Amino acid sequence: MKSYHDIQGDGGSNILEQVVEQKERIAQALSRVKHRVAVGSGKGGVGKSTVTRTLAAALAARGLKVAIVDADFNGPTQARMTGLRGAVPVPGVDGIALPKSQDGVGVFSVGAFLPESEALDFASVSKGESHTWRATKEFAALGEVLAAVNWGPLDVLLFDLPPGAERTLQFAEFLGPQTSFVLVTIPSEVSRGVVARSVAALQSAENPLMGYIENMSGYWCAECKEVKPLFPETKDGIELPIPCLGRVPFDPALAFACDRGVAFSALPETAATRTLTAVAGRLLESLEPTP
Amino acid sequence: MKFLCVPCDQPMKIQTVTPPDRGSISVTYACPACGYEMAMLTNPFETQLVSSLGVRMGPEGTPADASAQPKCPFSGMVAAAETEAREPETGMRWTDEATERMQKIPEFVRPMAKTGIEKFAQESGHAEVTVAVLEQAKSRFGM
Repeated sequence: MKSYHDIQGDGGSNILEQVVEQKERIAQALSRVKHRVAVGSGKGGVGKSTVTRTLAAALAARGLKVAIVDADFNGPTQARMTGLRGAVPVPGVDGIALPKSQDGVGVFSVGAFLPESEALDFASVSKGESHTWRATKEFAALGEVLAAVNWGPLDVLLFDLPPGAERTLQFAEFLGPQTSFVLVTIPSEVSRGVVARSVAALQSAENPLMGYIENMSGYWCAECKEVKPLFPETKDGIELPIPCLGRVPFDPALAFACDRGVAFSALPETAATRTLTAVAGRLLESLEPTP
Repeated sequence: MKFLCVPCDQPMKIQTVTPPDRGSISVTYACPACGYEMAMLTNPFETQLVSSLGVRMGPEGTPADASAQPKCPFSGMVAAAETEAREPETGMRWTDEATERMQKIPEFVRPMAKTGIEKFAQESGHAEVTVAVLEQAKSRFGM
């Protein structure tokens, strides 16, 4: 009697072949994207989205063509941070047209058209069992977005990832080894511990791990004119075995700007904006090392 | 999943896929050698698992251009039914060309995009969504 592997196809639907086709459509849509960078952490609330948004703007300020995919479908924030709430997807001749922020950064975020008082819901015939299929559906939905948007020629496409160390690895596998990873932490041992788990998880993937950014690395005190600590300093703390791309101090003005969708370029120069600009430079050097 | 006709030792081929009935679909297979037919009946849980992959089920040769169709017939039907129940009727007309362009938008986003575009069209004084209106919407949203 024949075994599974003796039989070509599945009798008609060819599910596996369709999955391969999906991947090919995504690859085709992203074929003019030079660099893909996923910004993750593992830990929630460390400022992944803020870092993604400001890095994108800092890269765009260097004359690069940059876009962001808000891959956090359940907690999308990029539309608000880039001032693009209400910018619904509009189909053009070659796919969905990408709205641009005032900084010139293209953004796809479910938050642009999903009210903040509503959670993203998928049609389902299996109510009450979403823990079994939801992640699969979200990746399929992300794949559809990647394949449907007209990204055009881009220098850098940044992915703003949801929290979760295991999710970070899932995204690495989904996005493939062409996507480099940058992790964001804050100077707490709790956060570094979770990020260390993400680093360990990513070591089983083939994706380049470019380094980490320490966000909220102190705060800029406008009265004292110096950076003061936000978290207690620890000795013998957890060391992350990847390069540090920069330490960004907390800046209330930057937080306010992200809440209101103010352009990064409209902000006055501060310790935070200077650091983020420097981080963007280091990131670019890592992506395109000079000979 | 594959099905084998044991007496003939031949892989069975999909013949039909019925629309979902309370979350269940019926997929009919037949043996190309002896013609024996059998049906696979899914429970809602199984239906949902397959539809979550974003693939279609059906005999070979159906939707050649998968990108122009809902990725999965049964999830498409379920989604469409739920969307119709949720969306308020705006009365806005869509030209065939504009409707065709909307197929480029992923299914899970389409209802929200449609609502936003119709709102834009109404506010701009249009009674119908045309390709020209879509182009205006692109400009309005900084695209």
